[in-house]
This record gives sequence, C-alpha cells and structure tokens, in this order.
Amino acid sequence: MKLTLTDLAAIILLSITSTSIATANDCNETNPSNSVSIHCGDSPSATFDNNGRLWTVFVQDQHVYVSHSDDLGQSYSVPVAVNPVREDAEHNGENRPKIIVDADSNVFISWTKKTSPRFTGEIRFSRSNDGGKTFQTPRTINDDGLFAGHRFESLYLTESGHLYLTWVDKRDLEASIELGEDYAGAAIYYAVSTDQGASFSTNYRVANNSCECCRIAIAPSGTENIAILWRQIFGETTRDHAIAVLTPEGKTQEIGRASYDEWQIDACPHHGPTMIQSRLSGDYHMSWFTNGDLHQGIYYARYSFEEDHPQYVFRVDGRAGAGHPYLAEHAKTLYLVWKGFDGQNTNLSLIESTDDGASWTVPKILHTTAQGSDHPLIVSGDDGLYLSWHTQEMGYVFEKFTANGET
Amino acid sequence: MTNTRFYPSLFSRIILSGVFLSSASLAMADNFQAFTAESFKEIKSNFEGEEFLLGLWSVDCPPCMVEMEFMSKLVKLNPDIPYVLVSTDPIDQRNYSAEFLEDVGLADKESWMFADSFVERLRFSIDPNWYGELPRSYFFDSNHAMKSHSGIVSEELLQEWFNRTLNFR
Repeated sequence: MKLTLTDLAAIILLSITSTSIATANDCNETNPSNSVSIHCGDSPSATFDNNGRLWTVFVQDQHVYVSHSDDLGQSYSVPVAVNPVREDAEHNGENRPKIIVDADSNVFISWTKKTSPRFTGEIRFSRSNDGGKTFQTPRTINDDGLFAGHRFESLYLTESGHLYLTWVDKRDLEASIELGEDYAGAAIYYAVSTDQGASFSTNYRVANNSCECCRIAIAPSGTENIAILWRQIFGETTRDHAIAVLTPEGKTQEIGRASYDEWQIDACPHHGPTMIQSRLSGDYHMSWFTNGDLHQGIYYARYSFEEDHPQYVFRVDGRAGAGHPYLAEHAKTLYLVWKGFDGQNTNLSLIESTDDGASWTVPKILHTTAQGSDHPLIVSGDDGLYLSWHTQEMGYVFEKFTANGET
Repeated sequence: MTNTRFYPSLFSRIILSGVFLSSASLAMADNFQAFTAESFKEIKSNFEGEEFLLGLWSVDCPPCMVEMEFMSKLVKLNPDIPYVLVSTDPIDQRNYSAEFLEDVGLADKESWMFADSFVERLRFSIDPNWYGELPRSYFFDSNHAMKSHSGIVSEELLQEWFNRTLNFR
C-alpha cells in the first residue's frame, strides 16, 4: 500500500491527537522516559466544557500543559505546551495554573510566573482559539512593568462572558518603600477582558493591605460582576477575611468583613479560602482555615452583603493538621472536602449539607494516602460533582461524588 | 537597603557560575542538608543538653525575609546563639534558597531543606500543632522543653526565651 502525503498527514495528526495513558507508577526517576502527563505533572486544575469534555492544566518541567479527556479521566490527550519557552510557573497547592473553556471552545489559561527568589512574579495569560490545539504567546497581565510581586492569580468567567483575573500585587508596597513609608502586606488587583481574552483592561485595585500568600476565591454576583473572598490584614496584624463585589468597569461595589477569627499573626498562613454562591439564597458559602484567638481550625460560614456578618459559623475540623477546604454545590446539596493528617496518613474528608449550610453530615473519609498530595478541588459537571486531587501514590484522581457521598 | 550589600555575593555568583559552567544546578554552593521525617530527631540529638533556636522559613514567605534580616543582624551581634534554619521549600529548588541566604548573610548557618513531598509528615515530625504558617520559630532550652511562635520573632520574645541579655544593636 502506498501512502500519499495526505495519508501521512492524517496519520501524524491522528498520532498527536490520540490519547496517552500514564499512571502515577510511571512517574519516577528510574523511568526517565516517562511522558509528560497529568499524573506526572504538578498542581493540576480541571474544568468541563459545554460538551462534557474534561480539560486539565498542570505544570511539568517549567511548562504549563493542557490535556483533555473524553472518558472522565480514564485517558487523556497528548498534553499541549501553553508556553513554548520554559518559565518558572508556580506549582503548589495555593498557586496553580487555572483553566476555563467558554461556550465557543476558547481555552483560557492563567498562571503565575516566578521571576526571582524574592517572591516577585508576573500574572501570565494565554488562550487557544482552536480548541486547545495551539496556544497564543503568553502575555503578562499586570501592567505596572515593575519587577515586583504579582502572584496568586485566580481566573473567572461570568455568565455575561466577562473574563476576570484577580491577584495579589505588591506595587503599592514598592511605592511605599520608595517613600520610606510602612505598608503592611500587599494589595488585591484585577483586570477584565470583554473580548474572550483578546485584550484585558487596565489593572484595578480592590484593597490595600491584603495577606501576601493566600489564594483568592471567586464566585458570581449577578451575571457580570464577581464576588471575591481573600485574607486581609485588619488593623495591624489581624489576618481574617474580606469580601467584595467587583464590576467589569473596575469598581469595587461592596466590601465587607467575612470572618472574625482574630488571627493576630505577622506571618504567611499559605491557606486561602474557598467560596461559592448559594443557588437557594444567593448568599455566599465560605470555608477557610484560621488559627485565631476566637477560632482555630477549618470553618464554614454563610455570608450576605445585606447582613454583613458571617452566619451559620461552623467548625468543620479543629484537629491539628486539618487544612485546605474546597466547596461545591449540586442539586441543592453542598459538598465540602478537606485534608487532615493523623501522624501517619493524609485523610481526605467530606461533609454535606442539604439545608444551605445550616447543618452538616458527619465527616466521611473518602481517601487515605501515606504519601504526598495536593490540595483537593471539586469540579462541577452537568450530572454532578467530581473530585480533582493530585497524589503521589495514585497519580491524578478524578472521580465522581455519588448522592450519598461515595466516590 | 543599599545596593552595595549585594555586590560581593553577585560577584561570587559570577565566579562560581564560571567555575561550574557545565552544570547550572551547581551554580550556587550551599550547605543544605536534606530534611526528612527523621531529621528533627537528629538535630535535637546534635544539641543534646544544649539550648537552640530553630527557624522555619520559605522563599515564598515575605515576613520570613523580614525575620531573617533581623536574625542575621542578631547572630552577628551574638555569635554564640545556636541557630538552625529549616526551609520548607523542596530541596530540588535549593538555588533560590541558597541565593537568599547568601544575600541575607545566613549562608554559613546549619541549614536544612524539606526533602519529602509528603510535607504533612515533615511538619508533624517537628510539631503536630504547626499548621504550616511561616515564619515559625521554636526555642528549645537545655532540657529541650519547647516554646513556639508563629510570625516574626521580636526582641522581647528572644530575650524571654534565651533568658539572658542579648545584644540587639
């Protein structure tokens, strides 16, 4: 059989779009031939597109990679590098690449590029207009041109199609240092794209004196605004949480205090909050870690801007070693997962609430591992919720929560 | 902060990178030891019957930098302070950490870096009640009774821990 050029092209195309299967066991130093894969990479994020295809992004060897799955994580496509030139993309529990796919199959990716040992960084963004086959040259979204800290970015697409990027920014700290003035912590900034990531607005400041080292949680507020929850420095050293509504025009509409834990600490907790909007009440479900004078451990609370005070405050886990909660909702049931460590093993636990956070089930342990693991995430699909959890032992775990909390 | 402070270390880095041109990972000399779940026992046994101060830090922690500038001055003024550093960054990222210690003037101290991705276990081996916040400091008296502090240490706290007069300026 003779192969024509068209056949060859088809074969090459097939080979690069076919799936590759790598398991966690393939990922070790004695097997240098192991392929780039979500199992071997670090700090993945995941999302579903409108067709039910699972999309993942992860970091491996200073590349941000995108890979998708049409069988709910059983197998994945050959990863595509988003950044053609290696760069030090942050990859840890609090600071991971993000991925969103819009209704037109545009793939949006953001990450933080570390630019020196002194916690400087840039907020990076890239998109694919061809369904994830190729990615545009990454761009830096912080517009101050400063070699300063811009880190812990979060990405969110509203129902109206506004694409928001928020992050922790140290430009105001740098300006204060120049003036010889004190400045506690960092600031929260954001930018918005109204053209599917083709361009972004100028950078808008939300608040001064945020904590420097925690992820920011985002949830919708109406169709085009967003609500963000972050760790803020109240007074001189109290690192509790603030919440605000941001508009596409750069206005911070409402701002409130979301937690009262009185954590007096001049330190980096490295524990960011999680937040979703209730479909029942429109309030915000929040969960976070604190070690304050009033509260210690992982907490849940519900917040509305009308009340401007956390309601239904609930201690999820007060044991030492508990951390990194993540919230999601499906079919009027709230799910909260988090990690704990008992001295030997890491346990991944789940609680549920069917009354909008007023009461919770007793904790159920979903997984146990005696090796390292990432923070747990939950991904929302049309038919339910999925656990997204990277582990040393099992590789990348992507599995569905069933109605009674089994995975 | 003056720029001149950084010239010597920058100069030494250029020299070193020239010497080890073939291997980028060796561009910085450092004395990091791999911190595993057994290392804390080892550190304590090395200081048996003696007091010591343990400082936990990371290059991802801005307040740590403030504390270490402070500690660098303190150990220069009080060279007898037994000060052990443990970085919670993975040891395969040692270059960043080495560069910082060099710049801040703490490169000659006993130094460890986390060498196990199961960080929960490493943290637990030091203190089950430590949640990972940084900087985190521990003082062990000569009987190894432990006192801990989260956040930047103060003159008052160190004075209290060491229970003797320290020179701060």
